[in-house]
Amino acid sequence: MNRDNTLVDRWEFWAALPLLAVISVGCGAVRNPALERARDAYQRARHDPEVVGRAAVSLDKAGQTLEQAERAWTKEKDVTEAEHLAYIAEKRVEIARATARRRLAADEIQQLKSKRE
Amino acid sequence: MSRIFNADHGLMRWRKSRTWVIACLIILCALEISGCSMMGKPPTEALANAELRLRAASEARAAEFAPMDLQSAREKLEGSKQAIAAKRYEDARRLAESAQVEAELAEVKAETEIMRRAAEELQKGIDALATDAERGSRKSLSK
Repeated sequence: MNRDNTLVDRWEFWAALPLLAVISVGCGAVRNPALERARDAYQRARHDPEVVGRAAVSLDKAGQTLEQAERAWTKEKDVTEAEHLAYIAEKRVEIARATARRRLAADEIQQLKSKRE
Repeated sequence: MSRIFNADHGLMRWRKSRTWVIACLIILCALEISGCSMMGKPPTEALANAELRLRAASEARAAEFAPMDLQSAREKLEGSKQAIAAKRYEDARRLAESAQVEAELAEVKAETEIMRRAAEELQKGIDALATDAERGSRKSLSK
């Protein structure tokens, strides 16, 4: 009877170790490529002064959809809905970018018209 | 007498339990059917919105300036209708929502392209005017 066994000497410890590792990895790194893409696109647009300045409302809409996607992913655990909302959010970012370009073109037209006169 | 009564009672109990089982089955079936239709109503609003957005995109000449997005939106709208016919209402809603946002994108892209071209034309006109004026001033200088 060796009572001076430490935790490390017990086989249960070594058995539990990989299990714990698997669980922690599993919890920490459940990633969704669609959601990450949407997040990335949104963040890039957020850092683009042209988009923020000219299409803030559209960009906010994209942000709201992205939040819904995050909620579906983390809280409701609904993968299909999360991916669907991520796709919508990505499209909304594209809409915001196009809106910014449209307004830029409109401003250019305005300037050129005043230049012509 | 009491024995007969007991037998009769047993028979009645058996009949009773059978009716209960049948009733439960009927209720379960009803729940199943109504549950299915309750969980998913046809996404009429999403579909109507998508159709509206698609029409707006067509009006904004998206067929000319954003054909890929418009095509994709149309296909998703078609898919949504098919999903409704197959009673896959969740799929139908998602497809209708995707169609709507793609149509919106097509519309904005088309508008942007039209604006950009207008700006280019204007710039060309101004450049032409400038070169004309330059030529004119050169001519007057050489005279």
